[in-house]
Amino acid sequence: MVSKGWRPTIGGGVLAISALTAAASGWARMQAEAPVTVAAPVGADAADAPPALLGQFCARCHNDIDKVAGLSIDDLRGRDPAIGAHAAEWEAILRRVSIGEMPPRNRAQPAPAERAAFVAWLQNALDGYAAAHPDPGRATIRRLNRVEYANAVRDLLALDVDVARDLPQDNSGYGFDNIADVLSVSPTLMDRYVAVAGRVAKLATGVASPRPFTTSWEVPKDGSIRNSGRPAYNERSGDDLPLASRGGGTLRYYARRAGDYDIAGWLNANTNNETDRMVEDKVSVRVPLSAGPHVIGLAFRRRLAPDDSVQTLRNTLDAVPLPTAPPVMLPMDVLVDGRRVRTVQVPSYRLSPRYSQANFPRDVLQIDVTGPFGAGGAGDTPSRRRIFLCRPKRAQDESACAQRIVASLARRAWRCPVSADDVAPVLRVYAAARRDGGFEQGVAAAVEAILVSPGFLFVVERDPAGVAPGTVRGLTDLELATRLSLFLWSSIPDEPLLTLAERGQLRAPGVLDAQVARMLADPRADALTHNFAGQWLYLRNLDQQRPDIAVFPDFDVRLRQAMARETEMFFAHVVRDNRSVLDFIAADYTFLNQRLARHYGIPGVSGTAFRKVALDPAWHRGGLLGQASILTVTSYGNHTSVVKRGKWILDNMLASPPPPPPPDVPALKERADGRLLTAREQLELHRKNPACAACHVKMDPLGFALENFDAVGAWRQRDAGQVIDASATMPDGARFAGIDGLRGVLLARRDEFVGAFTERMMTYALARGLTPRDMPAVRRIVRDAKADRYRVQTIVRGIVTSDAFTLKRTASR
Amino acid sequence: MRILRAPITRRTLLRGAGTAIALPFLEAMAPAARAADRAARPKRLQVFYSPNGMMMDGFRPAGSGGALVLPDTLAPLAPFRDRVSVVTGLGHPQAAAMGDRPAGHGRSCPAFLTGVHVRQTEGSDIHCGVSMDQVYAAHLGEGTPLPSLELGIDQASLLGSCDIGYSCAYTNGISWRNATVPLPVTANPRDVFERLFGDGDALDPASRLAQARRQTSILDFVREDTARLSGTLGRDDRHKLDEYLEATREIEKRIQRAAASGAGDAAAGIERPAGIPDSFDQHVRLMIDLQVLAMQADITRVGTFMIGRELSNRTYPEIGVPDSHHMLSHHGNSPEKMAKLARINRHHMEYFAYYLKRMAETKDGEASLLDRTLVLRGSAFGDSNEHDHMDLPVVVAGGLVPGGRHVAVEKGTTMSNLLLAALNVLDVPATAFGDSTAPLGALTHG
Repeated sequence: MVSKGWRPTIGGGVLAISALTAAASGWARMQAEAPVTVAAPVGADAADAPPALLGQFCARCHNDIDKVAGLSIDDLRGRDPAIGAHAAEWEAILRRVSIGEMPPRNRAQPAPAERAAFVAWLQNALDGYAAAHPDPGRATIRRLNRVEYANAVRDLLALDVDVARDLPQDNSGYGFDNIADVLSVSPTLMDRYVAVAGRVAKLATGVASPRPFTTSWEVPKDGSIRNSGRPAYNERSGDDLPLASRGGGTLRYYARRAGDYDIAGWLNANTNNETDRMVEDKVSVRVPLSAGPHVIGLAFRRRLAPDDSVQTLRNTLDAVPLPTAPPVMLPMDVLVDGRRVRTVQVPSYRLSPRYSQANFPRDVLQIDVTGPFGAGGAGDTPSRRRIFLCRPKRAQDESACAQRIVASLARRAWRCPVSADDVAPVLRVYAAARRDGGFEQGVAAAVEAILVSPGFLFVVERDPAGVAPGTVRGLTDLELATRLSLFLWSSIPDEPLLTLAERGQLRAPGVLDAQVARMLADPRADALTHNFAGQWLYLRNLDQQRPDIAVFPDFDVRLRQAMARETEMFFAHVVRDNRSVLDFIAADYTFLNQRLARHYGIPGVSGTAFRKVALDPAWHRGGLLGQASILTVTSYGNHTSVVKRGKWILDNMLASPPPPPPPDVPALKERADGRLLTAREQLELHRKNPACAACHVKMDPLGFALENFDAVGAWRQRDAGQVIDASATMPDGARFAGIDGLRGVLLARRDEFVGAFTERMMTYALARGLTPRDMPAVRRIVRDAKADRYRVQTIVRGIVTSDAFTLKRTASR
Repeated sequence: MRILRAPITRRTLLRGAGTAIALPFLEAMAPAARAADRAARPKRLQVFYSPNGMMMDGFRPAGSGGALVLPDTLAPLAPFRDRVSVVTGLGHPQAAAMGDRPAGHGRSCPAFLTGVHVRQTEGSDIHCGVSMDQVYAAHLGEGTPLPSLELGIDQASLLGSCDIGYSCAYTNGISWRNATVPLPVTANPRDVFERLFGDGDALDPASRLAQARRQTSILDFVREDTARLSGTLGRDDRHKLDEYLEATREIEKRIQRAAASGAGDAAAGIERPAGIPDSFDQHVRLMIDLQVLAMQADITRVGTFMIGRELSNRTYPEIGVPDSHHMLSHHGNSPEKMAKLARINRHHMEYFAYYLKRMAETKDGEASLLDRTLVLRGSAFGDSNEHDHMDLPVVVAGGLVPGGRHVAVEKGTTMSNLLLAALNVLDVPATAFGDSTAPLGALTHG
């Protein structure tokens, strides 16, 4: 676990949320509406002393002697915020006081007007100082993480190969895996980058070995922690397969040369053991492929009537009887790039004399592609077209052509114009390899060199000569372009962006806005969904989630994929259509296919394709908290977790993470007086301990409200025979119930939510943890967004025009 | 700049390697062959593991001490009778349930080479202990291109088919770098080949040399380019680039070691495997060949091999056993099932014999690989019907320990004592391992 930063340092003690009263009193709204115009009735006369309000309401605990939560009012002066002193303390005070967490509810409270005036004064002073003293924070050299590296390779070489899988997983910090400080370089890692660079360079240039070898793809299946795999489906198993297909799978395969390739499917036997690959169940055909990327698929055909020889899918742990009828032949289609190229007849089952627990429909466990046999040429692939700008006919033309190729690739790879001097070292690599193997081998070596070069692997922002150390400078357009493309695309700038930057036009009026809009509309912006939303919302954990199929017999790979897809499409839609980020809290639409709609009990959605669906309030969906993906990743395998869900909301929607539990935290008591306790009763008992209550009073009510959703996000009225009680009481006594009530609570705290969203996105965009000095920028972005109906692109633009994103502190020597 | 100083010696070395390449590899180049003194040759460790226990009736030799008489399951070892010791009576007390659920495979398999009671979990909080082979690999340090090689026949599956309540990591492999890092087996011969010899595009000495030259020139360029970039950077930034340069240097060392060991030459005569052969027999033999090759070329001195993952359900129709191995192992004392299980045991023993044969016929200087290798062979259970983890079937082979005997140790002795004694044979000055009480003296004393 990585610290979420500086915030928890104050107020680790007894806290209270009074969101409803806060919203009702109106000052929370005012805070964002009129931030800088209120006079400072408290601060003006207290420049050399703590502001009177703090002395009156806070000093009883936060004094030099008690120093509760490490804070003493005695250290503070009224003039501090305006001169940038004690920024961390003042930001913490601002936050706690403005949302009503401080003073604690059981202590004397300032009058609403008094509180509002104090908050306005403090915010005004902090923001005013920040505006006058731009502080971009600390930006260190950043290594491309494996996703960025893979995307950059794809965009640089027009190579449709996912190399991320070949690279080790990166470490995360502050909730993201692109954090500059955390991305280290180990020999093991470099070993992998060098190996991948070599492979990629050969593939892209077409000089890879013509020797055949096998690429294997294990089709994702649901096994379960209880050895109860369900390897077969009566539904289409991928968007790349024909509509009327059943089972099977697809694999993206890059043919190094034109030639014949063996496409083989390992079929399941009549057992649940998915590990075994039986030769008797292998089906192989040889087909010609052109050089370059292909989608290889295997699938069965969907039948209207169930086949007598095939038992129905097993939905429980009960054994299914062995087949009674002899096998029939099933057509299995071999597909290349969506086209059926061959059909093979396979028996509908093979009952081996070995032990058999159950009987499943035929399906494909693994697809192997082996080749090339009789290798032909390297072909006219997109990569070769991109790389070989010229094709020298005579030996004396080669070095000029190599120079042209290398200069073009180096410019894109290094994201800056390159001189002859810059590329000379790469050309030496070319020349050495050229001597050993010919022109194309030479170019391959040059590509390999570029792919491991520091200018490609690292984002290095070098100070121009002559700047004073430790001062603030504007980024060059080229530096800004790279930050922008890493933020929105997790990749390097494309040609239009790079050209604008080279010409110094990126910050001409309207240009940056237009670029942001263009980039968000581009398919490469999927990276924002996969990498930002995937981590912000913990979607990446969904693959590791193992719901217990004894409890949730309907859960399988297709449902898991559908869950992730709903949230991805929802997030991407909000971004592309520039919707309000409040849609994340409550929306009257979502994205469903039949599988997920059935899971939700929503009628009228058929087929495997996803589409936008208007939601009836009676269905209790809409917004992130009604999505099965979020509800599942915040549950355990066989039961929900009120605490995990509550904590998830505090962490990700309110940026108010509870401190970690103390080391001696007692476990929940599962029974009392010889009786099993409900989750609610267990937590009520737990909260009787004051050390636990401090945080649980914040987490538990949020989680209770979601108890109508089971551990895989399906709606339920009862749990373990008892009617669900989804009512909750906030620390301030406000009561609400269920997801609808929870949405109301969050909408009432919308500025907190938008602030939290902005903080998460800014962390990701800057590739560093935020500091108190960043908070004025966060507030400004929230204000601007509010004035524009909280549109998400306004937040994105706010981030890319912020000081932190566009400025840089020069190196101290 | 400091970083620009080094290359001269490296180039010299590579050129040296280039001229030497024309000579027969084993005699001129392998570090193994450089040392004239047999005793100074490297000691190797190989572990051969078979899943789902052993029919002990067919395994346990009659009598004990010298004049080893091989029972039926061990009969394939006859050509090496003088080089093998059969050890019975050892057990792994740490594989006991100790209050955990009754599932046995998930505890016994990871205890086999570690002597550790694993944490019962299916989550990411797996906890075992360092395995004996990895202790030796760490002891050897960086002398070879690869510290160790973990091979298997079954592809790891993280989903399903694992012991109830236990992570698949516990049954997919037997080597553990430390308590939380299991070392996955490689099952695809092509992947093994690439790990040993690079991507295999350069199999002849000339193109191999060209590849080394290319990589060297690329790494040279990287240093040059890094120097160019780091000129005006602050301290933190320079630190990160230093890290990168350091990593680059490490890779260079590995390339040097690979070039110096002549690893690629050893590969020159072999066809690069296309993938996993369809036939179990071909697959196992190929994997064994690759292991022997890795040792012969001194690419690594430590290896483990699982002829099946624990709980394997493989069937063996080729020897008249179309039944699942794991299901047979719960034979319920049915004579028919017991006979079939014994047939699988003997079948696996034939591959172990092939393994010993390949090592015996591979020259290592004046002697053979087998002479300088400590070979351990075993399973995590004796009688699998009982999940008996206190009577393990163990064979020790190779020239580093006396052979031709049946060592029947006192029942209840921990297998960790044997693992500790084996480490001492390999010159690791360990005084304890796993739950050892003392090194098993009988390993080294006739």
